[in-house]
Amino acid sequence: MAIFPKKFITYIIGLGPVIFLYFLSITETNTEFSNYFEIVSFNLQLIIVYYWTLKAPSMLGSGNIFFAGVVNDVIMGFPLGTSSLTYLVTAVVATYIRNVTVNTSLITDWLTFLIAIFFANLTYLILISNFTDIIVTYLDLFYNSFFTFLFYPIFWVLFSSYKMLLKGAS
Amino acid sequence: MASNRDDFGIAIRYALLQKGAKHKFSLFFLICISILIFFLDSFSSNIMSNVRSILNDSIYRVSAVSSSPFNFLENLGKDTKNIFFVLKENKYLKAELRELKKRDFQTKYLTNENKRLKEVLDSKNDSAVSYVLTKVLLDKKSPFLKSIILNKGRRSGIVKGMPVISKNYLIGKVVEANYLSSRVLLLNDLNSRIPVTFGDRAVQSILTGIGRDKPRLEYLPENFEALDGETVFTSGKDGILTPGLPIGLTEKINNKLDVKLFADPNQLSFVKVILIDKDTESNF
Repeated sequence: MAIFPKKFITYIIGLGPVIFLYFLSITETNTEFSNYFEIVSFNLQLIIVYYWTLKAPSMLGSGNIFFAGVVNDVIMGFPLGTSSLTYLVTAVVATYIRNVTVNTSLITDWLTFLIAIFFANLTYLILISNFTDIIVTYLDLFYNSFFTFLFYPIFWVLFSSYKMLLKGAS
Repeated sequence: MASNRDDFGIAIRYALLQKGAKHKFSLFFLICISILIFFLDSFSSNIMSNVRSILNDSIYRVSAVSSSPFNFLENLGKDTKNIFFVLKENKYLKAELRELKKRDFQTKYLTNENKRLKEVLDSKNDSAVSYVLTKVLLDKKSPFLKSIILNKGRRSGIVKGMPVISKNYLIGKVVEANYLSSRVLLLNDLNSRIPVTFGDRAVQSILTGIGRDKPRLEYLPENFEALDGETVFTSGKDGILTPGLPIGLTEKINNKLDVKLFADPNQLSFVKVILIDKDTESNF
């Protein structure tokens, strides 16, 4: 008899995206490399939300997306709801793309991710520049969006492998 | 054409209102909640600021605990690296100590002279300040905000606006004081503005964060000839920061005058918050 039932292992692996999303929001782990390359930073949370909402929405509940955003706001010092809205807008775009497309490939996912980044960062910019005193430079935001877009295929491959692993486990 | 618009409408409506096993709330509902809490937090009332304070205190603690294994591993790597350089560093520190001892006599002489002169001028001696030593709880880097979280807050007498120093060098000021924790906006943050003075001519300027490691001196006098290596101090012109806190050295880069900070904003572990009396607090 196995010590851990197969169902339990599958359940834990299935929680991977949620754990990873909370982990990035709550810990000091960051995706900013300004110590090495001044302009390199990307938003891994957006990639996680977009990929898993598009590919396996049952693995990343919308409530988790919302709470991960709230936690991120507290840690980063943004007004509550800013990151939540950004992530939820990304999730809306991903759900829309899932509804209107049948067969998707890396290229189609990658290109449609651009729409998600655009709307997510537009929401962020509107909220921050109109309703808070926080100053954000457009150039930094552009670099962040650019590298988020650029690194998407790498995480697409990693997450797809993870999804295959999960399929194998179940 | 109309059919395309209908399809778009249906797909968007479905995306916003869809629910499922793991999606107990529709995205539309959560978006509305997010907008509501954003406006409640932005135009904060007393109740909301208390809620935010409790939320901050608890999430900061959870975050510190969950980050500790990774910080331990990171520090372990740094400590191991330091061991290899300990002999060299020891020699360097001994030499520096000799030099500092020599300077200490000069400082004592100048302090006494300054005290005597102040007595002659009948000026108030404002050099006596008290500190709170705090530990950096979180140091999450962001391309947009440069701030750190400290493990002490209002309970220890910290209030919004107090200057924060590391090894006697200014690193920023408190922008959020919760009951058990506080947030410090670092000098290199885009939102940081500090009145400073530097050089033999005591030039007045504003030290502005530009989101990079080195903040920039702005609002310099017209036709100002910038020099490298001049020490920048707080001027205290804002009536909040203590005057004379050392910040860094000037560095001329492409006709802009940047400041290389004495305290590296990426290497902070213990910092001191300068406690200011209640009368000054009203200026924050």
